[in-house]
Amino acid sequence: MTRHRPDIGAAALLLFGATAGVHAQQVSVDDAAQAYRQIQIDVSYAPSDAIAGFQVWYSSEAFETTRDAELHSTVSVADTTDLERVPGDAVFERCWSDGLPIHRDAAGNPVVSTAATEWSCALTGMTPGAGQWIAVVPVDAEGAPLVDPERLQPVVGRTDVPDERTPPPDTRPVLYALGMVALSAIVLLSFLRWQDVGRGRAKSRLAHIYVAPALIALATLTFYPILYGMWLAFTNADQSRLGDEAWIGLANFATVFASSGLWRVTLFTFVWAVSNVFAHVFLGLVLAVVLNRRGLRGRTVYRTILLLPWAIPGYISVLAWNGMLQPDGLVNAFLGTAIDFFAGANSARSVVILVNIWLGVPFMMMVLSGALQALPSNMYEAAKIDGVSRWDQFRYLTFPNLKGTLVPVSLLSFIWTFNTFNTIYLLTRGNPYVGFGEPGATDTLITYVFAVAFEYGRYGVAAAWSVLIFLMLVGFSWLYLKRTRAMEAAA
Amino acid sequence: MEHKATVAYVFHIGPGGRLACGLAAVRVALRATVLLAALLFASPPGRGADGEAAMLEVWHTFGTNSEDERIFMGAVEAFEAAHPEIAVEPVRIPYLQNLQQFINSSQGGEAPDVVRLSDTELGRIGHISVEGLPLLEDLRPHLTPVQRARFEPRALNAMRYGGALYAIPVSQGTLALLYNKALFDAAGVGYPRDDWTTDDLIAAAKALTGDDVLGIALPIRWSYWFIPFLTGFGATLFDADANPTLDSPGSARALEWYLDLERVHGIAASSTGIETMSTQFQLSRAAMVLDGSWNWNAYVAAGLDLGLAIMPIVADTGNRMGPMLSVFGWSVSKQSASKVEAVKLAQWLSSYDVQKEFAIETYMIPTDLALARDPDIAANSTLNGYLRQTEFGAEVPTTRATYMVFEQLDTALELTSTGQMDARSALEAADEEMERILRQ
Repeated sequence: MTRHRPDIGAAALLLFGATAGVHAQQVSVDDAAQAYRQIQIDVSYAPSDAIAGFQVWYSSEAFETTRDAELHSTVSVADTTDLERVPGDAVFERCWSDGLPIHRDAAGNPVVSTAATEWSCALTGMTPGAGQWIAVVPVDAEGAPLVDPERLQPVVGRTDVPDERTPPPDTRPVLYALGMVALSAIVLLSFLRWQDVGRGRAKSRLAHIYVAPALIALATLTFYPILYGMWLAFTNADQSRLGDEAWIGLANFATVFASSGLWRVTLFTFVWAVSNVFAHVFLGLVLAVVLNRRGLRGRTVYRTILLLPWAIPGYISVLAWNGMLQPDGLVNAFLGTAIDFFAGANSARSVVILVNIWLGVPFMMMVLSGALQALPSNMYEAAKIDGVSRWDQFRYLTFPNLKGTLVPVSLLSFIWTFNTFNTIYLLTRGNPYVGFGEPGATDTLITYVFAVAFEYGRYGVAAAWSVLIFLMLVGFSWLYLKRTRAMEAAA
Repeated sequence: MEHKATVAYVFHIGPGGRLACGLAAVRVALRATVLLAALLFASPPGRGADGEAAMLEVWHTFGTNSEDERIFMGAVEAFEAAHPEIAVEPVRIPYLQNLQQFINSSQGGEAPDVVRLSDTELGRIGHISVEGLPLLEDLRPHLTPVQRARFEPRALNAMRYGGALYAIPVSQGTLALLYNKALFDAAGVGYPRDDWTTDDLIAAAKALTGDDVLGIALPIRWSYWFIPFLTGFGATLFDADANPTLDSPGSARALEWYLDLERVHGIAASSTGIETMSTQFQLSRAAMVLDGSWNWNAYVAAGLDLGLAIMPIVADTGNRMGPMLSVFGWSVSKQSASKVEAVKLAQWLSSYDVQKEFAIETYMIPTDLALARDPDIAANSTLNGYLRQTEFGAEVPTTRATYMVFEQLDTALELTSTGQMDARSALEAADEEMERILRQ
């Protein structure tokens, strides 16, 4: 164990005088019992009434006097009848007497019985890889040394036991998986290129190479995490077991479906997303139409003002709203009330929805405003000549022509809002609580998944929730597109 | 060989002019694959060979340009001057992200050498392991008994998880009763005294409550503020074996009494949150507040003439209210390549002098026992008051359950303060939920 033995002997015999006579004490270093930063010493001595305890002194250099050393610890000598021997795992440092864990006083300090003739301690705090000089000094009841403190004979010990260090995480499976994903993308592109070339599509012969970087980036940065997340959903991965997870089949999905509050949080998520998208589209369209009116003065000023919520970083806006909606915030000051908007479940839900509407309207307004400007003006001129009213112009000309923009934008808006995290997290953190072990009143699926993953540390269960969200959004998108195409066809 | 075969393949299937393009495409693809493989399979850079200066990364959560950060950076500079063989790179992490970021970086094998964590956070990560080893180094082998004995035993115990010592305690925090002397004087009410009972507290708060002033600013729905009342009524959060006892005798009575501060006596408001509590007190819209030393400087800066008293005795039980002790310490990562040096830094940052500077400048309550006898600390009535309050602090075991107890208690407070459940049922349900989670 000890590779480099110190020059000085590892045992010291000390003769010391006391009122009761002359006694012998032997201190030795137990090389076989060294541990990281610990050197074990064995002390044997002739019992004496004069000895009230022992002081252990140490230094990384040779010393003869306690002035040149540092006090390490003390071991008391006393009646141990009422004291307990405390096992090694529960104490700060391990000591033994009579071959058993040493007795401890109320403060946890080691005590040997008056009849004992030996004790051992694993001395902590030793510098590894260097000699440590250790002296044991018997003391009387007043703490005065029973040996000449100027003529100490320390023993030398040394520990070379290395520290236990966490090995670097085994990233090979991840790297192999990423490599395979990238390779698959390359093979796929090569195959497509071979097919195109074979079919005589000469123009496309370089297209696959141009596409390759984007496809590989997508495959490694998007597809791989999605697939990994899906795989996690079938494992028992959690914070204490990440990287060492095992396949558990559908157990996580069973946990999700057995969760109290599942249907409530799902319903609120849809209410949240639908009400937000409806308001974004409706208000965005109204504002876009108003701002698009001919002859409107100060159009740029209005647009700039209306764009502000979108121009300011979202988290700053949300934190500002959080402050303004407090009982002593600006909104209550303005109303002359002290309402706690975040206290009740329904008021908190209303508030988070309203704030998110405020945040999302400018984007929709800008998109629809652009689409409106692209509509041909002669269409409206012809309608005007034909005496079509403004409402009918909007109903039969503007709205149908905006559909091509409205459908994808509202679908995107739905997906974004469904997955919105910041607004709720920064406003309410999902609170107020409505039940034990349930999502909070303002939790949506996304904020609850965050809590499951990072507050409860249940990665597998959170992944199962995420798969469920993914399927919901895929299902909704498919239905939405199918429905809107059907409407377009009917139109 | 493969290269030639591919060239031949392209040559045969395509018209003659495609040869050059085919070659280029294959070369690009091969190079990209080799480069990608090289990037993916390259081993991470080492931390430096033996004999080089040790480089320590230390994460802290002190605010940018705050007094805390100034003192911390000064301590780091002094450490580097005293240990030229060790270089330190301090990294500021937002407080709310610190723990999660530490977990993530540990799981990715990139943990900092030293990090500042609280006892609650230790309870949160104590059971987490990477490659079968805990995230933090057990500091027991690193400290001598004399070095360890410097610290307040309860603070030291708060840094233990499952027997291991995961941090060197550097500061402790607790709530105490702060009061606005001007409001007391204006109402002709005597200042709080150490022998005050809860009856005295209610009587004074009633006398002080007016149209624009609350008797006491108390975030009623936050369990951290409820715990002193809970312990004052003889209830406990955990039994001797650290099992949750949220429905222990006295807890329901404590909760009813606590909610009555608003419902019956009208001296507190359940709409008060943590931030509004501080604002109300700063703006003299609350005469008293239960708060920690961390807000003392803000109150002084607001021009308040402040007083401090230890928490009163519960009249019904004769027990003094015992706020929860929260302790911060410096931990060393299990992944650190320089543990001996990292422990030296942790010891330096929790040394007598550094703790003293933090205490004097920022009212951070020290854990070094000798500092309680330091003349500068003893002469400081605020520090002295908080140190006296810590003597009555409720010691809570540092376990996984401790971290989770707050959410269950918060839920119980929410459901009872809004009248959705009665106190007994809510606390029983909270206890059941705790046991259910711990069984998972």
